[in-house]
Order: sequence, then structure tokens, then C-alpha cells
Amino acid sequence: MKKFIPFFLLAIVFMTACSETSTNKNDWTEAPWKEIEAAAEGTEVRLYMWGGDEGINAYIDDYVTPQLEDQYGVSLKRIPLDTPEILQKLQTEKQANKQDGSIDVIWINGENFKNAKENELLVGSFTDVLPNFNDYYNTEDPAFQRDFGTKIEGMEAPWGKVQFVFHYNSEKVENPPATFEELQTWVAENPGKFTYPRAEEFTGNAFLRHVLYAQAEKPSDVYEQPLKENNITPTAERTWSYLNEMEKNLWRSGDHYPNSLTELDRLYSQGEVWMTMGYNESRAESLIKEGVFPESTRSFVMELGSIGNTHFLSIPFNSPNQPGALTAINFMLSPEAQLEKYKPDDWGENTPISFDQLPENVKEEFKAVERGKSVLSTEELEESFLPESEADYVDWMKEQWFNEVVQK
Amino acid sequence: MKLFKNRTFLLFLPVISFLVIPFYGFIHAVIQSIDGEGLAHYKEILNSERFLSSVWFSIRTAGTATIASIILGLGFTKAFHPFLARTSKRLMVWVPMLFPHFVWGYMVILLLSETGWISQAFAAAGWMENTSNFPVWTRDPQGIGIIITYIWKEVPLVILLLFPVFTSIRPEYYALVDSLGGNAWHRFTTIDLPHLFPVLVESFLIIFSFTLAAYEVPALIGTTFPEMISVLGYEWFYGSSWDDRPLAFAAMVLTSLFLLALTLVSYYGLSRPRWRAMRGDRP
Repeated sequence: MKKFIPFFLLAIVFMTACSETSTNKNDWTEAPWKEIEAAAEGTEVRLYMWGGDEGINAYIDDYVTPQLEDQYGVSLKRIPLDTPEILQKLQTEKQANKQDGSIDVIWINGENFKNAKENELLVGSFTDVLPNFNDYYNTEDPAFQRDFGTKIEGMEAPWGKVQFVFHYNSEKVENPPATFEELQTWVAENPGKFTYPRAEEFTGNAFLRHVLYAQAEKPSDVYEQPLKENNITPTAERTWSYLNEMEKNLWRSGDHYPNSLTELDRLYSQGEVWMTMGYNESRAESLIKEGVFPESTRSFVMELGSIGNTHFLSIPFNSPNQPGALTAINFMLSPEAQLEKYKPDDWGENTPISFDQLPENVKEEFKAVERGKSVLSTEELEESFLPESEADYVDWMKEQWFNEVVQK
Repeated sequence: MKLFKNRTFLLFLPVISFLVIPFYGFIHAVIQSIDGEGLAHYKEILNSERFLSSVWFSIRTAGTATIASIILGLGFTKAFHPFLARTSKRLMVWVPMLFPHFVWGYMVILLLSETGWISQAFAAAGWMENTSNFPVWTRDPQGIGIIITYIWKEVPLVILLLFPVFTSIRPEYYALVDSLGGNAWHRFTTIDLPHLFPVLVESFLIIFSFTLAAYEVPALIGTTFPEMISVLGYEWFYGSSWDDRPLAFAAMVLTSLFLLALTLVSYYGLSRPRWRAMRGDRP
């Protein structure tokens, strides 16, 4: 055994030697914008983002990438990866003290942002330097101050705004339920035709938080109070009994909950269930166009309201190409890129841009966009808008749901 | 230095370079699972009903899949090994090995889910009233879908491992059994099994360890509860709060230790028959 020791030592020395690289870098978050753009030209920007939606991917590949190349000489590489895994990669790079990473831009919000911020995985405050953010966005908007209760402090730039809606097949469901009580009745009358993704899943968790809002005295009891100060027990009790009562009439009697939204969508497209849902009021449009969802797909929100939130773009602490990242983010926030994203062709999602700050003609263009039959009117969506609760509720829901609903 | 003059030592280099990183990873995982709190995290998971059911479910699912793969692979190799001598036919058997596990998992969903091809074909043929009469074989609480996927994937591996042993058995042995009046069963128990036993145990260890700790197939076709240990570990590791991470490490450390113990037991169990085989005396 003794003979091996030198080799172990050698290996350890080798491994530690690898991790001690560091470079001096400019802080670009304070530089004049012209210099940033000049430095970005001819560089490559690596955008890591969730890749589970074909419409979103098409928007990036067919619109953003060629535009950035034409206008700024920036070549964008989209790398699909789930956000928690992106953060894990960053965390590993941080532990290894790797100052030149491989990620320039990430798409982020909610608990992922909280983890990234708490573990110092982001470059810091950068939104002040973005001309498009300062020109066309209401920088004072509360939606840009806090993300699921976590203070943003300029560490991420608002890219999109979505609202939670239910989708249903209007040929099979004539009168969609308007309240959660009606949903329960509907499920009892149509056993096996409804289910929701498990709580670990983003959409499933949002559905469950809607039920939580509905079981509280009023929704603001949940979203205005941090979890640890909130006396949640009575509301939670009602939530579990609501869900448990519903369970036996769910698809497969609630023995199995879809592992992902994709799985629920497939059940819906095959007609096994008659409703699906999602955290984007217009996501059905491109799915209808591709023939995945039936033509008769429509959407609805509950009278209680629908949770909406903003999602963001951010830059990791060790981005090797900060000027490129800033240029790309600034472009993705621009009115033209937002308008293209608003059109139902690929993505069709709502914009966090402030219409009041837009030039008249651009405002008109936004107004002229037909979002599609499955999308509710802007007025209805705005009326039903409910803010997101603190990120702690997401986690709490994951754990409690498993104990109180699945294992019972 | 005398150490480096001994050339045989160089043979250990590849082994060491292979082992250093997993070893480092394992130590790191142990450190993370302790997280400055001693064995508290281990106590926590051993008291968690969710963890214990997932352990039982994982062992049951992986065990069933492994034993079934080995029996099927053994039967197939026994029946067809003369045909497999031709490379082209051997390649045909190994086609499933070309596809990654999750692709095979998707195939199982496409074929065997309630609205899959088979159920639709049955309904179209009038053997079933409608597709909902089809049994639940994917995302089911018994792990049937997971087991089917692994059997499908691992039978070719078993053939790959057993085939060289079969071809190395000298036909004279069978002739001997025949001339002593033995039947097929005797041939199997007195010739095949003693030859194959070490490889069978090794195959079991390889496949069982792999299925027990694999993530993608159970994540794809497993159900909400019970879940495989790796799915639960992933949940703890990537869950929204990073406080549960030590639990994930603790679960994986326990899994590694369990597999390590199993390997050691089999190794010592095997070494006696191996010795005897090398000396030439068979039981």
C-alpha cells in the first residue's frame, strides 16, 4: 500500500493545480454603453436556458440569434438545460474557483434566483447599464423589485411576463368551472378527466398554490405574508382536504400525477384528460397550430384570480463574455424583440415593457397583434392578476403535498 | 528510485487514475452528507417513511429486473449460442444496446401506455372495448414499466457476457453427460452452471447496481409514489431549497456502501469456487 502513496499525492497535487486559475477581469457593469457594444462585436454569447418548449426555442433560434448576428455581430449559442442544473454547474465552478466559466446568460426567476443570489452565483447589479431597460421599462414597477419575495437589486433584467391559465377542450367541456368549488364538482361529475402535475413540477406547484390562495380567507393573506410569519395551518388543512377529496376522481384515481407538464399535455392531446394548464396565457396557440392541441382549445382563469409573474435574464459571476451578455440581454429587452415575442407565431407571451414609454407607432403595433382564440383578453387577464407568493411557499408546498396528499 | 524500476508497477497506473476521481467523489459526498452535523442527516432519512419505501421499491424493482434479465439472457444464449457464432447474427441481438436507456424508456411508453400502439391495435382489432381497458403498465406503482425497460435493455448485455463462456465449454463434457445417461437438466446443472456461475454473479452485480442507482428511466416512467431512490435523491438535490442536499448525499452514500458490501460478499463467495476451478477439481 505504501507504494501507492506517491501516486495519490501526485494525483491530488494535479487536481488542486487545475483549480487554481484566475484571471483579472474588467467590471463591465459600469462601463459606457458604446464601449460595451464595441467589445461585444464578433464574440460568442452562450445562453443557457430551459429547452422544453418548442415555441420558445424557435423564437430564440429563428429570431433572436439572426438579429443579434446582423445588428451586433454577436453569435448566440442556445444551450438547453434545466435551470437547477445550470445553477449546479455554476456552484461547482465556484467551488473550483473557476473564474472563466462557460455560461454568459441564464434565464431565471423565483426560487432559482433566490438560490443563485444567496450563493453569489450572479455577476451583481447590471440593469442600470442597459439602455433599453431604462428607456422602455417602468424601473420602479414592484414586479421588478422583488422576484417571489427576493429583492432583485438589479441582478436580473425582466424579459417576460406570464399568467397562469387553464386550457380546456371546448367541444367536451361547455361551461368550464369558474371557481375551485365548481372545479371539484366538475371533477366529480367527470371522473378521470382532470389531473395536475406533481408539486415538484413548476406548473403543478403553481396550480397547488392557486388552491392554497383559494382556501385562505383572501389571497393576499398568502402573498402578502412571509411563510414563517403566516399562521398557515387552518388554510393548509382546508387545502389538503380539498385535494384529498378530489383525488379519487382524478385521472388514474390520483395514483399517479404527471411527472412533467409535457406529460399532462400529452394526456390532453390524446383526449385522456380534458384540461391542461400552464404558466403562460398564450402557450396553447403554437401547440394548436402544430396540431398537438385540438382546434377547440380555449383557456380560462378562476374568479379568484390567476397568479402571474415576471421572468428574467441574468449573468453568472464568471461569464467569460460580459459585454456580449449585456448586449444580448439589452437586445432581448428591446421593443422590437419584445414585439416579436408577443406575436403568437412562436412564443406569444406577454411583455413586461411599459406601453406608456413606447413611441406611438410601436404601441400601435403591439395593439394590432392578434394573440389568438385561445388567449384571454388583456383586460380579463389584468383584472384577474394575482401576485406570486414568497419562494418559501414553493418549497413548503413540495414537501407538504407529498406528505399530506400522495402518502395518504 | 527503486519504486519506479519495478515495471509491473506501471500496470497499476490506469487503475489508480480511474479510481482516484470516484474515490475523491465518494469522500466528498460523505463530507457533504455530514455537513457539520454528524450523523443527523442519516438519522433523518432512516426515519423518513418516504425514504424507506423508496429503498424497498428500488431493491424490489432492480432485483426483479436483474433476475428476469439474467434468466432470459441465459435461456436465450443457451438456446441460440450456436447461431450467434456468426457476427452478423450476434450484432442483431445487440441492437437494443445501441439505444440509450431513456430512448428505450420512451419506446416502452409509446408501446405500452394506455393509449400506446399496442392498446390502440387491440382496440382497433376489437379485442378490447376501448383503450382504457388496457392495464396500467407504465408509470405504475409496481414499477412494471421500469422492469420491462430494463429487461429489454439488459438481456443483450447478459448475452454479451455469457456468450464467450458458452463457446468456451468443450462439447466433450456434454458427450460425457450423455454417455452417463444424463438428460438436459443434468447437462445444465453439471456443466453449464459451474462454468457460468462466476459470470452470472458478476452480471447480477453489474446490472443490479446499475438499475438500483439509475435515474433517467425511473424518472420517465416511474410514478409519483413509490419512487426509486435516485429520483428521490434528485428531488432532494435539485429541490428548490438547497437545505435538503445533505439528505441526497446521505442517501447516495448509503446506496454506495450497500452495493460495495454486496460486491465484497460476492467476491469472497466466488473466490473459493474460482480457486477450485483453477486447480481443476470440480464439485
